[in-house]
Amino acid sequence: MTPLSAPALRLLVLLAVLALTVVFFATQIPNYLDARLFNRISTSVAVILPVAVGQAFVVLTRNIDLSVGSIVGATAYATGGLLGAFPDLPPLLVPLVAMAMGGCLGAVNGFLVSRFALPSIIVTLGTLAIFRSLLVQFSGGASITMASLPAWVPAFAQANALSWEGIQLRWMVLLALAVVIVAHVVLARTRAGRQFYAVGSNPDAAAFAGIDLRATVFRAFVISGALAGLAGFLFLSRFGNITVVAGLSWELRSVGAVVVGGVNIFGGSGSVLGVLIGATLIDLIDTSLVRWALVSEFWREAVLGFLILGAVALDALLTRRLLRRRARRSLPGARPALAPSGEARP
Amino acid sequence: MRHLTLSALAVAAFCGAPAIAQDAATAGPGQAVDMVLLPKFLGILPFDQAHRGAQEAHAELGNPGELLYTGPTPENSVAGQIEILTTAASQGRDVVLLSNNAGDQIVPAAQAAQEAGTRVVTWDSPIPSGEGESLFVAQVDFAEIGVVMADMAHSIMDGEGQFAILSATPDAANQNAWIAAMQAALAADEKYAGLELVDTVYGDDQSEVSYNRALALVDAHPDLELIMAPTSVGIVAAAKAMQDEGLCDRVKVSGLGVPAEMVSYTLNGCAPQFALWSFVDLGYLAYYVGYLLATGAIEAAEGQTFEAGRMGTYTIERDPTRDNGLRVLMGPFTVYTAENVEAAAQ
Repeated sequence: MTPLSAPALRLLVLLAVLALTVVFFATQIPNYLDARLFNRISTSVAVILPVAVGQAFVVLTRNIDLSVGSIVGATAYATGGLLGAFPDLPPLLVPLVAMAMGGCLGAVNGFLVSRFALPSIIVTLGTLAIFRSLLVQFSGGASITMASLPAWVPAFAQANALSWEGIQLRWMVLLALAVVIVAHVVLARTRAGRQFYAVGSNPDAAAFAGIDLRATVFRAFVISGALAGLAGFLFLSRFGNITVVAGLSWELRSVGAVVVGGVNIFGGSGSVLGVLIGATLIDLIDTSLVRWALVSEFWREAVLGFLILGAVALDALLTRRLLRRRARRSLPGARPALAPSGEARP
Repeated sequence: MRHLTLSALAVAAFCGAPAIAQDAATAGPGQAVDMVLLPKFLGILPFDQAHRGAQEAHAELGNPGELLYTGPTPENSVAGQIEILTTAASQGRDVVLLSNNAGDQIVPAAQAAQEAGTRVVTWDSPIPSGEGESLFVAQVDFAEIGVVMADMAHSIMDGEGQFAILSATPDAANQNAWIAAMQAALAADEKYAGLELVDTVYGDDQSEVSYNRALALVDAHPDLELIMAPTSVGIVAAAKAMQDEGLCDRVKVSGLGVPAEMVSYTLNGCAPQFALWSFVDLGYLAYYVGYLLATGAIEAAEGQTFEAGRMGTYTIERDPTRDNGLRVLMGPFTVYTAENVEAAAQ
C-alpha cells in the first residue's frame, strides 16, 4: 500500500477531530444527533465557506485579507439595495453582480499590496475600516429589510435540493460545496493554481521560475473579494435584513477556518478541502456550545478560542507523529518526511 | 397611556401650583439653531426614524440653521461619539442631541461642550451620572418595559410555559436593565408564576448571530414556547429563523421591534405581539427640547413646562432612575398586534 501523502494525512486527522467533536457533544447534549443538526450546520457554514475559500487563496500566497467581513457587508447591502430598486433583475445575474462588486473591492487590496509591496495585514486592516465606513456613508445608516426584496431571494436560502428523513440539503449548500470543489481543482490540478503555492512557499524561486509574483498576489485578492461578494449574496438571501454591521468580524472566522483547516499561515501549503472541514468544525463547536449547559454564555467565546487552539495543536501533533512513524517504516533514502508545512515546496 | 396619566398626576401633585400657574413655554419659530443629531451609531432603523422625527420638527419650526445627522460606525461607537461631540462643540453648534453609548466616558467632552456654549440634550440613552447633559428625553420608564414584556409573555403563552431571552450584547446597559426589570415584574406578581425563564443568550445585535442563537435555543429546549428579544435586530432575526424552519406554530417570538420590519411576522402569527415606543416621536420631541433650550424659551430646570408641537405639553422632572439628572418622559408604549401593525409600518 502506498503511504498517504502529508496533506491527505492532515485531512484524515481533521476529519477524526471533527468526528470526535461530534461524539463528545453527543454524550453531553440530549437529542444532539438528529437531522436538524445537519441542517443547521450545513446552512450556516454555507454562507461563510466562500469567504474562507477566498481567504485560503490569499493565505497561500503569504498574505492575509482582513477586509473580507467588510466586503461581505458592503456587497450584501449593495445587492439588497440594487434588488430593491430593480426587483426584476434576472436571478442568475444577481450573484454574478455581487461577485463583480466584491472582486472590485478585492482588486483595490490586490493593487495596493502587489503594486507597492505593502504588507497585506496593514493594507487590509485599512480597507476593512474604509469599506465599512463607505457602506455606512452610502447607506445613510438605513437598513435593507426583507420586505424590499423580491420573493425569490429569501426563498433561495430555503430551497432544498434533496430532502430525506428530515435531512435537508439546500441549494445554497451545494453552491458553497461547488465553490470548494472548483477551488480545489484549480489549486491542485492547474498551472495557475500551483502558482499560488509557489509564490507563498518560496517567492524567490517562484520569480526565478518565471512566475509573475505581483499578478499572482493580485489574483488571489481578487478571488478573495469575489468570493466574499458571493457570500454577501448568500448572506442577503439567508438573513434578509441587512444592517451596516453585516459580516462584522468575519475576517476572524475566515482566518480561523483556514488555519484550523491546515493551511499554513506562512503560505505555501494547505488544501481547501481542509478549509471546508475547518469551517465546519468551528461552526459545529460554536453552535454546540450554545446548547451545552455546562458552559455559560460568557465563557463561550473563550472556550471556542481554547478549542480552536486545541484543534490546531492536536492536528499538528498527530500529523507529526504519523509522519514520523511512516518515515521510520519507509526506506532510509526516502525524502525527509517533514517540514511540518511540508507539501508543495518546489 | 396609563403611564402618561400617572406622570401627569404626579406632576400635578408635586409641583401643584407652579405647574398650573405657569403657562407652558412655546417655541418661537424661525430662529437659527444649528443642531447635531448624534445616535449611538449609524445603520439601524430606529435611529433613522428618530432622524425623520427631528427633520419633521426642523421643517415645522422653520429653523434656518442646519440639522446635521451624523454618528460613528458600530465598532467605533464610544470613541466616535466623543470625537463627534468635541468637533460639534469646536464648530460652535448650538445643540447636540445625543443617544449616549459611551457611559460616563463622555462626561469630559460633554462638559467642555457645555462650557463652549453647545447644549447637550440626551435621548434614548442618557449620561449615567447626569453630568454634562442639560436633560434627558426618556422614551419610556424602564420599569414599565419589564411589565410590558411580562404581560406579552403571559398573553402569548396563556400564562404558562417556558421562554428564553435573546438579548443584544452581555454588556449593553439598557438591555440588562430591561431584562432585570422583566425579572422583577415576573417575581412581583403571582399571575406570572407559570412563566419559566430557561435561558438567556446574546445575539450581539448582528442578524446572523441572533438568527443562529434563536435556532440553538429551540434545539436546546424542546418545550420552549417563546423567545423574548428586547432588541430590534434580535427580534426580527429570531422571527425569520422560526419562520424559515417552520417552527412558528410551536415557538413564538416577542419583544421590542420596529413595525416596518416586523409586520409580516405579526400578520402570519410568528410574532403575534411586540412593543415599541415611536422613535419618530422621540426624535421629534428631542429636537423640540433642544430648540427650546437654545432659543431661551425654557431652562433646564425642574418644573419647567413646555409645548412640543403636535405632541402636546411636557414637564421637566427629576429623573427617578438616576441619582442626578433631569428628564422629560415621553411615553407611552405601543403594543403592536395584527390589528395595528400595518398602519404603523407605513
